[in-house]
Amino acid sequence: MTFRSTIRTKCCMLLLFALFFAAAPRLFASDWGAVLDASRGTTVNFYGWGGDPNVNAWLDTFVAPRLKERYGIALNRVGMGIGEVLNKLLSEKAAGKTDGVIDVVWINGENFFAARRNDLLFGPFTQALPNFREFVDAAAGDVAFDFGFPTEGYESPYGKAQLVFFRDTERLKEAPGGHEELLEAAKKHPGTITYPAPPDFTGSAFVRTVVCDIVGREALASLPADKEALRKAVAPAMEFLVALKPYLWMRGESYPASSSQIKNMFADGEILLGMSYTPFLAPGRVAAGEFPESTESFVFENGTVGNTHFLAIPFNASNASGAMVVINEILTPEAQASKYDPAVWGDLPVLEYARLSSEERALFESVDTGKGAVPLDFMLRRRVPELPANFIPILDEIWRETVLK
Amino acid sequence: MKSALRAYLLLTPALLVLGALFLGGFAPSFLQSFGYFPAVGMTEPTLSFYREVFGGREFLPSLLFSLRIAFLSSAGAVVFGALLALLLLRTGRGEKIEGALAAIPVIVPHTVAVLLVLNLLARTGLLARLLFASGFISSPDGMPSLVFDRGGLGVIAVYLWKGIPFAAAVVYVVLRNMNTRLWESATVLGASRFQAFRYVVLPLLLPSLSSTFVLLFGFSFGAFEAPFLIGPTFPRALPVAAYSAYIHPDPTFRPYSMVMVVVITFIAMLLVYLYSFFLAGEERAS
Repeated sequence: MTFRSTIRTKCCMLLLFALFFAAAPRLFASDWGAVLDASRGTTVNFYGWGGDPNVNAWLDTFVAPRLKERYGIALNRVGMGIGEVLNKLLSEKAAGKTDGVIDVVWINGENFFAARRNDLLFGPFTQALPNFREFVDAAAGDVAFDFGFPTEGYESPYGKAQLVFFRDTERLKEAPGGHEELLEAAKKHPGTITYPAPPDFTGSAFVRTVVCDIVGREALASLPADKEALRKAVAPAMEFLVALKPYLWMRGESYPASSSQIKNMFADGEILLGMSYTPFLAPGRVAAGEFPESTESFVFENGTVGNTHFLAIPFNASNASGAMVVINEILTPEAQASKYDPAVWGDLPVLEYARLSSEERALFESVDTGKGAVPLDFMLRRRVPELPANFIPILDEIWRETVLK
Repeated sequence: MKSALRAYLLLTPALLVLGALFLGGFAPSFLQSFGYFPAVGMTEPTLSFYREVFGGREFLPSLLFSLRIAFLSSAGAVVFGALLALLLLRTGRGEKIEGALAAIPVIVPHTVAVLLVLNLLARTGLLARLLFASGFISSPDGMPSLVFDRGGLGVIAVYLWKGIPFAAAVVYVVLRNMNTRLWESATVLGASRFQAFRYVVLPLLLPSLSSTFVLLFGFSFGAFEAPFLIGPTFPRALPVAAYSAYIHPDPTFRPYSMVMVVVITFIAMLLVYLYSFFLAGEERAS
C-alpha cells in the first residue's frame, strides 16, 4: 500500500515536472521525452462531437492503434457536443474539481472564445509539440486566430473546413452560384431544399455564408458585437431567408435539427441540395454508395465561410501530458493525410506544404478527392474567413427571431 | 403513532438519497434561474430572467405545445390502453403470446420509437411509399407532414405507441383482479352492458386510469428526445428550448435555461400532488 502510493506520488511529481517544462515556450528534446515517459501506459479521454461516423471511425481505427503502438497510450473517445463539454468544465471549475475527466477537447469559434473567457483551458502548450513547431505556421491567420479571436497557444489546429454545397445533378440541373440562384432553384423545385436550424454548426455557417454573400464580410467585421447593430446590418440577408422560406422543405416551417439529418435526407432523395462543413463529404458518400453517383459539390462564386477547428486541453485535465502526445500525433503528415482522404473523412490538412519533405508531400498528393469534388485550390480561393466568434450566437438568435416565426 | 414513526424511520435511507439527489440537482438550477451564478461572476439575484423568458415570444407557444403534446398523448394512451386491456381480457389472450407482444413497446427506448415513427411517417417513409404506390399521392410533396410538423403529430405518435401498452398493462391487472361478481350482479339486476361498464367497472378503474394518465403526462411533458428529433423548429417543446439555452456558448445565458427548468419542475410537482391524490383514491377503491 505504502509502496504503491509512493509510486503514485512519484508519477504525479514526474507529471507536474513534465507539465512545467511542456508549458514553457522553449522545450528541449529531453523534456518531450519526459512527456512521453509520463504518458506511457495511460489513457487519454478525447471529448468531441460524435455525430459523424467517419470521424469517429478515423479516431478509433487510425489514431487509436497508432497511439497504442507507438506510445502505449489508450485513446478513449467520448462523443459529446461542445456545449455540454463546456458546461461540464464550468461545473467542475465551480466545484473546485482539479482531476477532471476530459483530457482533449475538440473545439473552435464561439466555444473557444467562451472557454478562454472563463479560463477553462490549459496552456499555452502548442509550442511544446514537436510537430507543431516543425510543420505548422504559428503566425498564419487561420492558426493564430480562431473566428477572429487570438488562439495564443491554447489550442492546436486539427483540420480546416469550409462550407460546401452538394446537389443531385440529375434532378437539379444548375449549380446555384449565389443566393439569387439558390432562390430560383428553390422556386423550381419547391420542398427539396433546406438547411439545419441554427445553432446547429452547419446551419449557422450556411446563414453566415448567405449573410456574407448579400451584405459582404467587410461590412460586418468592424461592427461591435451588439445585437441591434448586427440586426440592422444583416437585415437584407434575413429578408432573403424569409423570402426563401415558402419554397423550402416543409415550407420553411420546420428545419432539420442537425447536419446528420441533411445527409440522411439527401441520401434518401428527400432533398436535392444539401450542405456540409466537411468539404469532401459528398464525394466520400458517393464512394460509399450512400449518395447518388450524380452528386456534385460546389461553392458560391463569392465564396463560402471556412474555418480551422482545433484541439485544446481543459484546465483540469488529469492527463495533460498524454493529451499533448495525442495532439502531437494528430499533427503528423501521416495522420493529416489519412483524414484528408474523402473515403476516410475529407478534412483539409493544417500543415504547411513548404515544410514537408517530398515523401511527406506524396502522402497528400496520392489522395484522390473523389468524383464531383470541388478542387482544393479553387475552394480555398473562394474561402471567406469566419465572422468574429462573439457574433455567432447573436446571429443565431436573430435568425430565430426573424426567419422562424 | 409508534408505527408511523417506525415507518418514517424505515423510509429515511431512501428519502435521504432521493432528497439529496433532487435538492442537490435542483438547488443550483433554482439559484441560477435568479441570475445567481458565481462561477461566471453573476452574484446579483434578479427576477429579470423570469420577466424576459415569460415575456419572450417563444415561451408561451413552447409551454402550450408541451402541455398539448403531453395531454393528447396521455389521454389517447389511457383510452386506447383501457380498450386494449378489455379486449385482451375478454378474448382471454392477456396471458398468451398476444399479451407479451403488446408489452414490447414498453421496453423499447424512446429514441428507437422515434426511429420507427420516422421510418413510417416521414415523407420518404413507408406510409408515403405505400400511398404513392397505390396512387393516392403523386409525389412525396403530396404527403401531409406527419413528422417535424407544428402540431407535433409525430411526437404524439411516439408517445402513444409507448403509452398505450403501458396503460393496458396497468388496467389489465386491475380488471383481472376485479371481483367479476360485481359485473354479473349488475347485469342480473337489469343493467345493460354499457350501464354495467359505465356505473360499475369504470368507477373502479378510474383511480388507476387517472394515476396512469398523470405518470404518462409527467414523462412526456418533461422528455427531450422525441420533440428534439422529430418535433418542429418552432415552437420547440419546453425541454428542448431549455436545452438549447443550456448549450449556448456564453454561460451567462444559463439563467434563461434554468427559468424553464424551474417551470418544468414546478409543473412536475403539481403532477406529483395530483398523482398522490389519485393514488389515495385508488387505495380507497380497493
